[in-house]
Amino acid sequence: MTVRALHAAAAEARNLVRFSRGRPGFLFGLGVVALTIFLAILGPRLAPYGPEEALPGVANLPPNHEHWMGTDISGMDVFSRVIAAPRIDLTIALVSTAAAFAGGVVLGVISGFFAGGHGIWGRLSSTIVRGADIFQAFPVFIFALALVGFRGPSIQNVIVALAFLNIPFFLRLTRGAVLHMRERPFVEAARCMGGSGLRIAFVHVMPNALTPALANLSPTIGFSILLASALSFVGAGVPIPTPEWGSMIAIGAPNMMTGQWWTALFPGLALGLTILGYALVGDGFRYYLDPVNRR
Amino acid sequence: MRFWRYAGRRLAFLPVQLVIVSVIVFFLVRLLPGDPSYLLAGPFATVERVDEVRRRLGLDQPIYVQYVSYLRSVMRGEFGTSWITSQPVLQDIGQRLPATMELILAAMLLSVLVGIPLGVWTAVRKTGVADRAVLAYGMLAGALPDFWFALIMIFLFFFQLGWAPGPIGQLDLTVSIPPRVTGMYAVDALLAGDWEAFRSALAHLVLPVTTLTAIYMPLVMKNTRSTMEEMLGSEFVTYARAAGLPRAVQLRYALRNSMPSVVTIIGILFWFLLGGAVLVETVFAWGGLGQYAVQSVVNSDYAPLQAFVLVTAVFTSIVFLLVDLGYFLLDPRIKP
Repeated sequence: MTVRALHAAAAEARNLVRFSRGRPGFLFGLGVVALTIFLAILGPRLAPYGPEEALPGVANLPPNHEHWMGTDISGMDVFSRVIAAPRIDLTIALVSTAAAFAGGVVLGVISGFFAGGHGIWGRLSSTIVRGADIFQAFPVFIFALALVGFRGPSIQNVIVALAFLNIPFFLRLTRGAVLHMRERPFVEAARCMGGSGLRIAFVHVMPNALTPALANLSPTIGFSILLASALSFVGAGVPIPTPEWGSMIAIGAPNMMTGQWWTALFPGLALGLTILGYALVGDGFRYYLDPVNRR
Repeated sequence: MRFWRYAGRRLAFLPVQLVIVSVIVFFLVRLLPGDPSYLLAGPFATVERVDEVRRRLGLDQPIYVQYVSYLRSVMRGEFGTSWITSQPVLQDIGQRLPATMELILAAMLLSVLVGIPLGVWTAVRKTGVADRAVLAYGMLAGALPDFWFALIMIFLFFFQLGWAPGPIGQLDLTVSIPPRVTGMYAVDALLAGDWEAFRSALAHLVLPVTTLTAIYMPLVMKNTRSTMEEMLGSEFVTYARAAGLPRAVQLRYALRNSMPSVVTIIGILFWFLLGGAVLVETVFAWGGLGQYAVQSVVNSDYAPLQAFVLVTAVFTSIVFLLVDLGYFLLDPRIKP
């Protein structure tokens, strides 16, 4: 059993390697993902200076061989902070996306499988969809800002807000796939064997309807990093001086008017490249998971 | 006739939608964990002080009593008082809304004027360096943080080149505010014939509007492109080609049939811009609704935040309604 699983995993890995050859965008994205994970684990240790340490007498130095990305207004080393930041940014994005994925998939399976049905489950299904409609009427950033605002700015509240925000997205993706899957003969077969509605929905349909949600995990992580840093930028997220890209850009904002470009440029570049990388990985996987494009 | 019946039905549903939204906004504040009385009373407050704040906010009442009194005050147009500006929230919002609308409308106009032609052009000509460059930019723009892009623009065009004014709001400090008609400074200055204020207002609009357009225009472009591609490959265009109609006529047919989808994306663009404006306003000290919202969040000022969310919801509902009506007019196949 385990041997067979290993073989299957190896075959899948070989497929993926073959697929990624000749796709520079996908490879670049994978590189970015690997780098951010690496930095999230080791970044704060690799930093040449303390990421929250204000070094005396070196405020606002332009990039030089001691401070590769210069120093900010309070003498903190920008490079050290840029490579220490993924720990907090990635944690926020991963935890909130995982929660949104779990919540969205469960709600999506229920709302898709029982769509158009009668009784309590049918009614629950339409309530879920209607709820998602209303929540999505708010522009994303405003909704995030309001959620964090009502609860008070803190890292936990940013995670809760982002998780909440992304649920309707995964919900819709899963619901669409479930609507498609529930018409398949295997569902009818399960029903003939006497399976209950919930059991068929979660044991038989759900595993077959995960592809769209899975393919969108990576871009959602990138998008969550963007939202978290935007919240921190306006002062409603990670507090200064914790190294975080958005709050670093906020520290550097006044400097851009007086010509010290390095304090905001580098964290912004790191942020942009990260979001791009996660989006490209998502594009690649979406293509890869579609069996038509496999070979 | 059919149109008016449809419009009437949709309009009748609008209040229902808004009541639902008001319920959500209300419960967002009340039911999320954490008690605002503690935040409002401050970190050194005594238990008695917290209780007093809670009583003043009515938070000691049962939740349905709170909801009814909240709804009643909203119906009267009372949204409470901001304790940062110490003004009624409605007045604060009235002062700031036009500034935000000016920003959003200008960015929308520019995005449509640039995005639709670019989308059509890339759909028609699918080879060449320029086309690939436009597509790469479309991919990149989705990953750029708008607030960071705004800062880069300020560095380049204000600090380095000195072409644009600094991020100090909507007018130069030396220019007096034109008499208020619409509240949008550029429009008001034009109406008053005040050329100095008009020039200043336009100059201050350039960087924020360019930022918003650069980040959000690709949305319009990509959508126009994919719809146009679909239309150009459709049977009616193939037939037009077979019938020997000139290319310009074929394109007009395709464009006309792409319109419903383009109208939808313009509605979605508004939705995106409303969120993007909050950040861009913060960078440019624009003094609009978005900056007001950020201020209230940072200072835990609940009344304005609650009103802001409600106003945003009203606007998106109205815009989505307009989009649906436009879609109905443009696509005769839609059945009400």
